[in-house]
Amino acid sequence: MIWEVFRQNQAGDYHTHCGNVHAPDREMALLFAEVQHGRRKPTNSLWVVPQEEIGEVDTEDAKFGGTTNKSYRFARTYNVEPAAEEVEASEKELTEAERKRGEA
Amino acid sequence: MNVEETKARASPREFSPKDDLPEEYRKAATRMLEFHANSEIMGAYLERPFIRKAPSLERKMAFSAKVQDEIGHGQLLYRAAESLGVKTRDEMLDDLAEGKGKFLNCFHYPLESWVETPMIAFFVDGAAMRRQATLKKSSWEPYAHAMDKICFEEGFHVKHGESILGELMNGSKKEQEMTQEAFDKWWPRILQFFGPTDDQSSHHDFAADVGLKVMTNDELRNAFLNTYLPKAKKYGLEIPDEPRIRENDDGTYDVVEDDLDWDEFFTIAKNDYEPGVGQIEGRKHAQDAVEWVRNALDEQEAIAAGGQSPQAAD
Ligand SMILES: [Fe+2]
Ligand SMILES: [Fe+2]
Repeated sequence: MIWEVFRQNQAGDYHTHCGNVHAPDREMALLFAEVQHGRRKPTNSLWVVPQEEIGEVDTEDAKFGGTTNKSYRFARTYNVEPAAEEVEASEKELTEAERKRGEA
Repeated sequence: MNVEETKARASPREFSPKDDLPEEYRKAATRMLEFHANSEIMGAYLERPFIRKAPSLERKMAFSAKVQDEIGHGQLLYRAAESLGVKTRDEMLDDLAEGKGKFLNCFHYPLESWVETPMIAFFVDGAAMRRQATLKKSSWEPYAHAMDKICFEEGFHVKHGESILGELMNGSKKEQEMTQEAFDKWWPRILQFFGPTDDQSSHHDFAADVGLKVMTNDELRNAFLNTYLPKAKKYGLEIPDEPRIRENDDGTYDVVEDDLDWDEFFTIAKNDYEPGVGQIEGRKHAQDAVEWVRNALDEQEAIAAGGQSPQAAD
């Protein structure tokens, strides 16, 4: 049975996918995950999830974010100085996301 | 964990659903999250009519995207709230419909005219974002994670709101006057967004001690005034003489509390303020109208869970 593994660096962080292991049950999957993924990289917690339990939709099936110009969803579109640092931080994140979408 | 241990460990993103937390913590966090989630939903209902009333296609698209975001914020926050194990999402949504769920003072007032939209989309969203940015450091990890996503999106809301304000204040004399009128009406409510000054706030101490509240009402109001007051002036808005706001030498502000209508504020806090009652009712009708959708989903969930639905067995 294949188990997908998600690692969390530090408490409070997100668990992110880091690979998978072949194991007969959850307990063994956790052990293998620990050995394979928790030894060097900083690890606070690991999740294992049976591969067949994972649902997926990808770019073959979906047009993520639509196919028309949706620049109105992005802060950069509005030509005003960000009112506060948190607005500026958000604009940066949004612009970064917009840029990466463009590259994809 | 008892209360003292919780206070000792309290730090940003420290507690997750795995932790055995005292009931006081769970209840305080649920109260905050439920209030926050309800506010997202009630705010969205207030702005929804402006998808139709927007003066241009761009504004229409932006309002539609924004309202969709706000409903999504509500959903994220109900998830973070129900993971505390105190109340389910259904219970919170039903309480909101029955007028028992509490939400932000500003969303109890009607929003009628286009010139009023930046009062919410710029000032209230700006105030909310100020507060939300601090909640990225909440000790309840699911709350902090919801804030990451919400703050990511809010920059668009605030800048969009500001762009409407700028457009109106650079528009015709009539537009400028109407916008000033709307500002006069909304400004005291916006100042009340952060609640009464600290000594009057009953829930603060415990929430601060366990890392659920990161900044005090006064600190948040100051931070808001520091950035949004100059913005209002920049667009040519006149700050009303009352409520009186005194700027101190250290860059902080004192708002003269007696100049604000606290009777109205506490009537609103009890969900007894008339326009707000109508808005709660309005949302209840919308919720009732789509009950069949929820039922269909519940039935589907029961089937997927392996059992057969009662109807299917007939
Ligand atoms: Fe929101
Ligand atoms: Fe917003």
